[in-house]
Amino acid sequence: MNLDDLTRTSGEWLRGTGPESDIVMCSRIRLARNLNDFPFINRASRSEKAEIETHARGAIAAATESLSYVELNQRSKLDLQFLVERQLISRELSSADYPRGVAIGAHENISIMVNEEDHLRIQAMHSGLSLHDVWERINALDDQLEERLSYAFSPQLGYLTACPTNVGTGIRVGVMLHLPALVQTKQIDKVFRALQKINLAVRGLYGEGTQAFGDFYQISNQQTLGNSELELIRNLTEVVPQIIEYERTARQKLVSERRQHLHDQVSRAYGVLKTAHTISSEETMHLLSSVRMGINLGLIDDLEIPTVNELFIHTQPAHLQKLQGTTLEVDERNVARASYLRSRLSNGRHSETN
Amino acid sequence: MTCQRCAEDASIHLTETVDGEARQLHLCVRCARRAGIVLPENPPTLGLDAVVESLIKANVGELVGELAELACPDCGTKFMEFRTAGRLGCPADYEVFRKGLLPLIMKQHGVTRHVGKTPKHSRLGANRARLRLRAALRDAISLEDYEHAARLRDQLRQKDADR
Repeated sequence: MNLDDLTRTSGEWLRGTGPESDIVMCSRIRLARNLNDFPFINRASRSEKAEIETHARGAIAAATESLSYVELNQRSKLDLQFLVERQLISRELSSADYPRGVAIGAHENISIMVNEEDHLRIQAMHSGLSLHDVWERINALDDQLEERLSYAFSPQLGYLTACPTNVGTGIRVGVMLHLPALVQTKQIDKVFRALQKINLAVRGLYGEGTQAFGDFYQISNQQTLGNSELELIRNLTEVVPQIIEYERTARQKLVSERRQHLHDQVSRAYGVLKTAHTISSEETMHLLSSVRMGINLGLIDDLEIPTVNELFIHTQPAHLQKLQGTTLEVDERNVARASYLRSRLSNGRHSETN
Repeated sequence: MTCQRCAEDASIHLTETVDGEARQLHLCVRCARRAGIVLPENPPTLGLDAVVESLIKANVGELVGELAELACPDCGTKFMEFRTAGRLGCPADYEVFRKGLLPLIMKQHGVTRHVGKTPKHSRLGANRARLRLRAALRDAISLEDYEHAARLRDQLRQKDADR
């Protein structure tokens, strides 16, 4: 697979379609699976890791999903970071140094990481709030892989994982939410505390320990044992609409109480993105977040949500360098980012590039 | 920094919150004792590993005595290594360290019984025969006993073929 081809497209999950997609960027499920006759990755020798990869590739090739396998061992740092930015691999997998890889589905709805913390980390994503569709797809894929692989499974403890925090279903059910109004009205911490009380985890755009870039937050289950996959999905499906409601109420409050201020903030953000000549990644995310909310509130009418979603990803360091076809230092990247933003936002109505 | 009560160097630093207001205390050992603050016994000067280990022992209690030295015959992981690094070594560890793991699983998940999807094909549990062969193979290679390693590899291949 030629990764450069991916620079011209973006994942389906950025398309901004599906239920509640003004606030729910995407729904995502991952399953942790291990083979029953190999040690876990942290204990496996290099040659065992290579063997695990061979077994996994065989099963992946036999699945009905069309998946392209990318070996990661020979890839440049830039390629690895590019895949992290696209949410196709984790930072942990990108920084490892042994046989490993990722299988990527058409439209980037599916990715299977091989030799991450667990032998297999299967992930499926769809735009909008659509956890049941995502589950059907990933469940079917898991069944197909299981026909060729002997999973480590115990009747009492379920799917056995390298870390007992994932044992049981091995599932993480998550949604990525855009919550700028809750951040601005300083209610976000209250929401997080309430979520933690019901055992839901909150993470930033790029997973554990990352900052909440662009006001995006991932909400997911913490417990994997004792509830079925469907119960965990139902749990999230019941909670997420409440958060969406809080965000909508906070947005309406901003509109009714501080309309001019809000309009000014959104227009300035849009103006800076359209005209800046050097801009950092952090500022870009911050301003794009305002613009995204502005479109959803009808304050900007010549820009589409999918374009903004895509810009969150395409303005990140590895993407910029891929688009430019050369490595760039921080200062050069800031100039390239501003130039890219100007070109994408310059003439009239904008839509997706793919 | 000097002690807030005398001119000695302060070595006890406390933050206490009273009615929502945080108050900082910087005291020397003598003044701290006098103020009724219970001080830990002089901490022994230990390496980081030993400190981590002693913390773990303090937290997991008596079980550690017998569990600490317990090692998985299939992958060689010791229970103590798992407690330090947080990762198990192979699927068989769930059986080998059962006694130590179940309380931890209970703490994290609130239950110790799986509900939900089950693989359709019944190849349950860890394949310990194969895990053990692989462990022996790793050992043979690390000892550079390539003849033995070759025999073990043949046995593994034979098992593959039998499946």
